Formats: sequence, structure tokens, C-alpha cells
Amino acid sequence: MDNTKSNKLTGTYAKTEASVATSKRIRTEPYQFRLVHLPIYFVLLVGAILAITPFFYMISTSLMTLGETINRQLLPAVPQFDNYAVAWNEARFSQYFLNSVIITAVTITGLLFTSILAGYAFARIEFPGRNVIFMMLLATMMIPGTVTFIPNFILIRGDVIPWGSWINSLPALTVPFMAHAFSIFLLRQFFMGIPNDLWDAARIDGAEHARFLTSVVIPMSKPVVMTVTLLSFIASWNNFLWPLLVTTTPKWRPLMVGLWTFVTEAGPETQLLMAGAVITIIPVLIIYFITQKQFTEGIATSGLKG
Amino acid sequence: MATPSLSQTKTQAQVKSSRRLSRLKRRDWLTGYLFVLPSVVIIGIFGLFPIAYAFYMSLYRWRVRQGRFIGLDNYERLVGNWYGGLMFLAGIGVILLAHWLWTDAFKSSGRKRFIKALAALVLISAGVIMALGWNMMSTAGDKRFLGSLIITFYYAFGTVPVQIILALVLAYLLFQKIRGQEAFRMIYFLPYVTPIVASAVVFRSIFSPRSESLANQALALIGIEPQRWLFEARPLLEVMFGGQLERLGIELSGFWAGPSMALVTIIMFGIWTFVGYNVVIFLAGLGGIPKNLYEAAEIDGANGTQQFFNITVPLLSPVTFYLTVLGFIGTFQAFNHLYVMREPFARGSVDTASIVIFDTFYKTNNYSLAAAQSILLFALILSLTLVQNRIFGRRVFRG
Repeated sequence: MDNTKSNKLTGTYAKTEASVATSKRIRTEPYQFRLVHLPIYFVLLVGAILAITPFFYMISTSLMTLGETINRQLLPAVPQFDNYAVAWNEARFSQYFLNSVIITAVTITGLLFTSILAGYAFARIEFPGRNVIFMMLLATMMIPGTVTFIPNFILIRGDVIPWGSWINSLPALTVPFMAHAFSIFLLRQFFMGIPNDLWDAARIDGAEHARFLTSVVIPMSKPVVMTVTLLSFIASWNNFLWPLLVTTTPKWRPLMVGLWTFVTEAGPETQLLMAGAVITIIPVLIIYFITQKQFTEGIATSGLKG
Repeated sequence: MATPSLSQTKTQAQVKSSRRLSRLKRRDWLTGYLFVLPSVVIIGIFGLFPIAYAFYMSLYRWRVRQGRFIGLDNYERLVGNWYGGLMFLAGIGVILLAHWLWTDAFKSSGRKRFIKALAALVLISAGVIMALGWNMMSTAGDKRFLGSLIITFYYAFGTVPVQIILALVLAYLLFQKIRGQEAFRMIYFLPYVTPIVASAVVFRSIFSPRSESLANQALALIGIEPQRWLFEARPLLEVMFGGQLERLGIELSGFWAGPSMALVTIIMFGIWTFVGYNVVIFLAGLGGIPKNLYEAAEIDGANGTQQFFNITVPLLSPVTFYLTVLGFIGTFQAFNHLYVMREPFARGSVDTASIVIFDTFYKTNNYSLAAAQSILLFALILSLTLVQNRIFGRRVFRG
């Protein structure tokens, strides 16, 4: 069923299928070692080592004593797991971590709500001006964040629309990210591939669009909803510039800004800094390893993260 | 069931059903608008409105609070000399002319060499016009902002081509029938999914100027003295060949001095982060190339290198183009890692346009000047994308 559906998807989503197909093909063919493969493995290994060295450095340093970081050992003699506790407390990560979790959860919930509705409407409901509105939304993807952040800051401060200042509040960190053109685009592409017969049958049974969406379309669309969720998780968790602007107190400061504050305060205690970095990275890595395939291919379809 | 009444009821039913249909239709419209409303409101307010408002802001004096209307003063302050700016733009136009001549040379039957030579001449004059215009601008304009555009240029052109070539090679090798393809792909992708602020913090430590830092220890292995990396404001060329250049009597300055060592370090970080992403996209593209092309080439006796340059590279050109556009847009607005990795010792040599815009806004509190800067950067990104589309978009092989 998945294949017939995805055949109808075009553009960026088709790429996903291609890469899935290739990885399958390579696995099913019997492997044969040939001497010409040696230099290939060599180059690939060098690349992999370069890619992974900073991680090795980060984890190893995070377990050292201060003396070991200064004398630049490769590995700690005795792993200092205490560093994590010290970094966690000194950087006030309890609060920042919780903030980040709340911000991310609220943003994703809002984003899924708005994007699923909009993606469904653009894919399956005819209404005047549909294409114009869709194009307008897509055009916003071209606008760099460096242009939007200044007016948005004025907006958030309540200068333009008199809704009061949102500085240091949850809405300032979540509402601007609760709709995103690319998520709408991805969902729309997927919803367009859902057979019309299903909708005809549902309509004969007296179902409305809202009912059809919740009981038929969403259960069918788990992969794409998952992709959108992962993408917005990454974007939200890694967000830095905007939270730096709109949080002046620790109250709603997210983890990334917290890490940066820690960097500017912690000074030369490298092992604590690295422990802090590991802490901020771990949630992303856990999710990456669990949903590896979905994750890689989902992000491959997008051009997020600048 | 008399025949006359049947036709009558039929028309009645038709009228009824069409009325019902239009009522249904209108209900559909309403549902559609309701469904898109939340997205349209949020994107409208935080995505579309800011463009117009940034322009509006740039026309006022605006330090924290709105002041009086000052027209294009902010732009004049940045650009310095309107004629210089116009000349610079004209230079870009002349590049397009040179490109047009060049492609024309391949179409015409005779006089190919003559037209090619003419195109080269036009290209050189474009460079001269741009340089002259730039000089006029930078003597009168905002030195920090204009300088930041050059730094942005270095950052973009130092990062994008390298990361694309590396990624293409890695993806091509990965695509061979080898073991562990998925493991390699996963490892290459790891830097990309890592939160960039965190990985930049790690790189700050690896490339610290202390002689025990990892980067300096690696240099020590091959007998090079410790470097100052992110703290080094001198251009890389000067750091590497300073002595030789001096002996030859060459003094590089301004644009020609090249990026500072600190910027090159950040470029390395950029490449490290984004190669994996490019590899994954290239792998997807490689999967789309029909296998029988390679088989046919093999029968014709083409070796691996020939296959790579005559089949793989041309057939991947749409992907390469997509990644190039994406890379340039990304590097032109890169902020997070530059912000984290910049040191006072680098003396502004890593401050790209987005960093300067942020400083103007956040430190100097000159909101309208920052808005004007951001509008100029946006215009630059847009025109660069257009030129890219015009020159390379057509060369892309689309089957």
C-alpha cells in the first residue's frame, strides 16, 4: 500500500523513495570483497574518523579531571561521571532542560495542528484562491531569518499589535514557529496521494471533512506526520538566535541559550563545558538512533537548518 | 409511474440536487478557509508581514523606539556612494552579458574564437567595473557592513564548493557495492543532526590557541608549530606564506588578502557539519540513475573514472544545482555557529553580514540601520539566486 501511495508523490518526496530503493538493493545483493575496494574503504574510513573525532573528543574530555584536560590526555584515567552532575547544577540545566522540553512539545503540537489542517485543505478541498494562498505561503520559505527577526522582535514587544509584551514568555518562543510552509507542503504532497474513492465512500457514509481527516487520513499518514514531527523537533530544539533575543531572564530560557550562557561563564573548565555539550546533544542523538532511517530520509527531503 | 410526471420529477430532482451541490460547495469553501486560517494567520504575521515592516523601519530613525522619517538615509549611509553601488550592479549585469556571449560562441559556426575572446574581455571589464564601484562605495560607506559582505563571500565560496565536491566523492564511493553503507551514512550524518551550538562549542575547544589543544597537537605530529586558529585575525595566506610573500615583495591587502585564519577555521567547521547532509542527498540522487547506463558504458569499455565523469556527474547535475543553491542561501544567512565561534581576538574578521546585522540591532540598538542592512542582504541573496539560476540552471541536465 505504501508503494502505490508514494508513486503519486512528486518532487522532493520522490527522492526519499529512491534512496530507500538503493539501500534495499545493496543489501539484497550478495557481497563480494574485491581488492579494488580497499582504497574505497580507506577513504570512507578517513571521512568517518574525521566526522566522529569531535564526538570522541567531547565525550572523552567530559569525563576528565581539570588536570587531564590541561595536560591533554587522550582518555581519562578514571572516568569522572561527577562532571555531568557538576555541569548540570552549575549551568542550571534542570530549568533550561525543562524549558526546552516544554517549548519543543508546545511548538510541535501547534505546528502539527495548523499544518495538518492546512495541508489537508490545500490537498483535498476546493475553494476560491486556494492556489494563490498556497503560493504565498511557499514564498515565505525564501525569506531569510535575518530579515524577519527585527520586525518580529518589534511585534513580540507589542509595539505594532497592542497585545502587550511577550518578552520572557512561552508564547514568544512558540507561537511564531507554530506554522511552517515546508511542513504544510510535505503534508499536502502526501494527502494528495490518498485515493479519492476513500473520500467518496466516507461522504456517502455522511462524513464531513473534519471527520474524514481524523478517522481516515491521519491514521494513514503516520510516516509523513512523523517526518514533520522530527523536523520541527530538531528546528525547535536547536533554535538559538530567536530565544537569545526574547529571553532576558532564565525563566523560559531554552537549553541552547543556557549552554551559551554557561560557555561565557564557565571559563577554562573544559571538562564541564564538554559535559554540558553532551547533555544538550543527548536527546537529539537518542531520537536519531531510534528513528534513524526515518530521520535521515525525512531530513533529506527538506532544506531546513541554515 | 406515468411518463410525463417522470420527466417532471427528474427536472425537479436536478434543480434540487444542484442547489444541494452549491450548498455543499459553499460548505466546502467555508471548511477550506477555516482549515487554512491558523497557518495563514501565523505565517502572515511572522513570515510575510516582517518584510514590508523591515523596509518601513529602515526609512525611519529607529533606536529602540520609532523616530522621525529619514527616507533612504540609512541606505545611503551603508552604500556610501549611489554611483558606486550602481556601477557595482552594472558590473553584475556585464557578467551576464559575458555569459550570454560565451554560450553564443558555441551556437555560431564561424568566429568562435573571436566571440570567446570577446566574452573573456567583457568578463574582465565586468570585474574592473565591479572593483571600481566597490571602491567608490567603501570609501564613503559603512566599512563594517561592506567588509562583512566580503567576509560572507569568502565564507560562502570557501564552504559550498568544497563541501559539495567532498560529498560527491564520498557518496559515489559509498554507492559502490561495499559493506557497511548504512553505518557510514549514519556516521556522516551525525554532525548535521547535532545541535549546532553544541558542536560549535566543541570546536571552540578543539581549535583553541593553547598548545595542548587537539588541533595544535595534530599539527605537532607533522612538525608544525601551534597556531592561534579562532584567535588569529591575520589572513591565512599571510600566516602560511608571510615570509615568502614579503621576500617576493608582494603585499596583499583588502579583498585580495583572503579570509583570516579564524574564518578558515569556521569554514572547516561548516564543511564538517554539512558534508553529511550533502552525502545523503547525493546518495538519493545516485539511486535515481538507471543502472543500465553503467552496464552499457562498461560494454563500450569505459573505465570507472570515465563513467564517473560522463554518466554520474552530468546525471547528478540537478542535485548538485539544488545543493549549491541551498548551500549559498544557507551560508549567506548562517548565524549560530559564527556567533558562538567568534572571538574578540579575531578582530571582526569572521563577522559575516548576519553577525553585523545582529550587532547593529542588539549591541548598537540601531534598529532601522539593522533593518536596512537586512534588506540589502536579502536583495543580495535574491539576486545571487537569480544569477545562479540564469547561468547554471540551464546547464543542468534534465534527462
